[in-house]
Amino acid sequence: MDEQQLSDVMATVLRVPAEEIGPGSSMDTVPGWDSLRHLTLVLALEEEFGIQIPDEEAGSITSYPLIKLVLSELVEARA
Amino acid sequence: MSTRTDPDEALAVLAADTSTLTQLLRAIETLEQQPQERTVRVGVSASATVDLLGVYLRRHGLLAGTGVEIVPGNFDDPIGDVERFRAAGVRHVVLLPFFDGLLPSFEAQLPNLEPGAVDVLEESLRSRYRLAFEAAREMDSVFVGSFHRLGSPVDLGGRDVVATVLHRFDAALREEAAGFSNTRVVDTQDVVSTVGRRAAFDHRFHLRSRAPYTGAFLDELARRITAGARGFGAHFHKVLVLDCDNTLWGGVVGEDSPTGVGLSPHDHPGSVYWRVQHQIAALRHEGVLLALCTKNNPDDVDEVLDRHPDMVLRAEDFVATRINWDDKPANLRALATELGVGLDSMVFLDDSPFECEAVRQQLPMVTTVQVPRTLSEYPRVVHRVAELFLAGGTTTDSRDKTEQYRRRAQAQQLQARSVDQETYLASLQLTVELRRDLPGDAARVSELSQKSNQFNLTTRRYSTAEVERLVASPEHAVYSLVVGDTFGSAGLTGAAVLRYDGDRAYVEAFFLSCRVIGRGVETSVWPQIVVDAIERGCHELHADFVPSAKNTQVADFYDRLGLHVATEADDGSRSYRIDAHDFHTPPPAWIEMSSLG
Repeated sequence: MDEQQLSDVMATVLRVPAEEIGPGSSMDTVPGWDSLRHLTLVLALEEEFGIQIPDEEAGSITSYPLIKLVLSELVEARA
Repeated sequence: MSTRTDPDEALAVLAADTSTLTQLLRAIETLEQQPQERTVRVGVSASATVDLLGVYLRRHGLLAGTGVEIVPGNFDDPIGDVERFRAAGVRHVVLLPFFDGLLPSFEAQLPNLEPGAVDVLEESLRSRYRLAFEAAREMDSVFVGSFHRLGSPVDLGGRDVVATVLHRFDAALREEAAGFSNTRVVDTQDVVSTVGRRAAFDHRFHLRSRAPYTGAFLDELARRITAGARGFGAHFHKVLVLDCDNTLWGGVVGEDSPTGVGLSPHDHPGSVYWRVQHQIAALRHEGVLLALCTKNNPDDVDEVLDRHPDMVLRAEDFVATRINWDDKPANLRALATELGVGLDSMVFLDDSPFECEAVRQQLPMVTTVQVPRTLSEYPRVVHRVAELFLAGGTTTDSRDKTEQYRRRAQAQQLQARSVDQETYLASLQLTVELRRDLPGDAARVSELSQKSNQFNLTTRRYSTAEVERLVASPEHAVYSLVVGDTFGSAGLTGAAVLRYDGDRAYVEAFFLSCRVIGRGVETSVWPQIVVDAIERGCHELHADFVPSAKNTQVADFYDRLGLHVATEADDGSRSYRIDAHDFHTPPPAWIEMSSLG
């Protein structure tokens, strides 16, 4: 999975510079990352990575490491 | 052509159907950093979470040449939202009542409801939206989404109880809207049909976050609203200027002869042009001015206009013509002068990429549309052209009709005006049960403390164990609020945590679910909390406001409650206090209070 792409999508949706996105980024540390923006983030990630994030995970991937984990699995499963 | 600068590329991204959401967001940001010729504020008030609608309104606004600033409303508060929009300088309002959200899971619940409950709901719907429309009277435009259903009827004929009630509520909404000349109904069911039901809804987020719509739905909705608002004031089209060969008919009259052009309603491809001519004739009947601008011999064109048996449009349908060999930009300028209209009110339709590009470059203010190479797409393209003229409504005839509606509705409003916000709230029969130290509420109070951001004075998060400890502690009290109204109970939707220290009572936390804000619930509980504190021997009430990124709406909550600022820190945090016996803010008259525990 392309981590640069992940950072870029997160930065665009959450409206912060890409270099500020990293393993420490989470709903608690990024000011613009609220529950509304989270929906947009999930949709944008699904579109950019060509995957469908299951219902159970869509609401709970609220940090960079969690998103990376779930995305990697889904991207691998697709390949 | 010159090399493309960033804004040009960004506009191309906005125009492309294939752009992803991320690409759109980047392009919008690029364009919004440019100086805008025109910027408008658009308020969005919905009873579903429609955050993305703002992104797509900005997209279509920028495509029309208008920068759009979105002012989001609260959840399901059309009347309060419109008041706030007015204060925020909003000029255009979008109201989206969501059918399935009228009551929780309304479509599923509907077959089990008493008919009386549906009547009450309809009355409440009418009065709420009437008040919202009334409050939005001064806005440039108000768009209200009609109702649509989420699921399909099980009934084969489609006539189940949901369809019946939906139809009835839809008619009620349209009837209320008809009284306001600036208010337009947007047919959301047709948006669902256009996008496709499966592609319009995302059930994951519907059930989890009350965000039922996909980007595809919201994009199409935003496109229609922007067209309906004429690009938020960017354009007002009046004249459709038409080429002839391969635009009004198939073939070239100078080569194929006036009788040989393709225009038969029964043969392809003539039938496509015949259909398009009917679409254009319909525009004329709506008051759109038609003009011809074509490189041809005038005699050839006149002969087709006068004699061709299948011509739908005739010479008298055109208010002006330029049939000559001059270049088209010069002819368009001449037409504008002759008709006394601005070039920016013209739409130019031509099949030649060369002519279209010439006009685009020399007269960018003219809206240029090219006949598509794939002829089967042509009627759809003309439909879009029709939208440019008609989506904004109000040609001469329809303006009269609007006026009639307005007068009739004004009479109705005189009777109805007595329904103000307070009467409306009273009709809701709001109840608040204030519970104290109930161990069974701990889990829900903890959950609410984690989730509440907007109405949260200190943003303190509590674990269930912590709340249980506070409930058991004699130095603390945990209040929870159960809110109900005529439609049922909203459940445990708020909490306050008090700490008692000698003769002082400290409010450690106060938070509410945004579902119940704006009805007076937030102030209703305080008289009882203060009385309890006095009974414990406290003389002073102390409370803090701690700002977060999301709780600005409660920055002045304690001021409104009548408390006095004691200290204020640089980060905006404030401490308040009041002598308990000086606290006199009464609970709102329309709320029935009870207590438990």
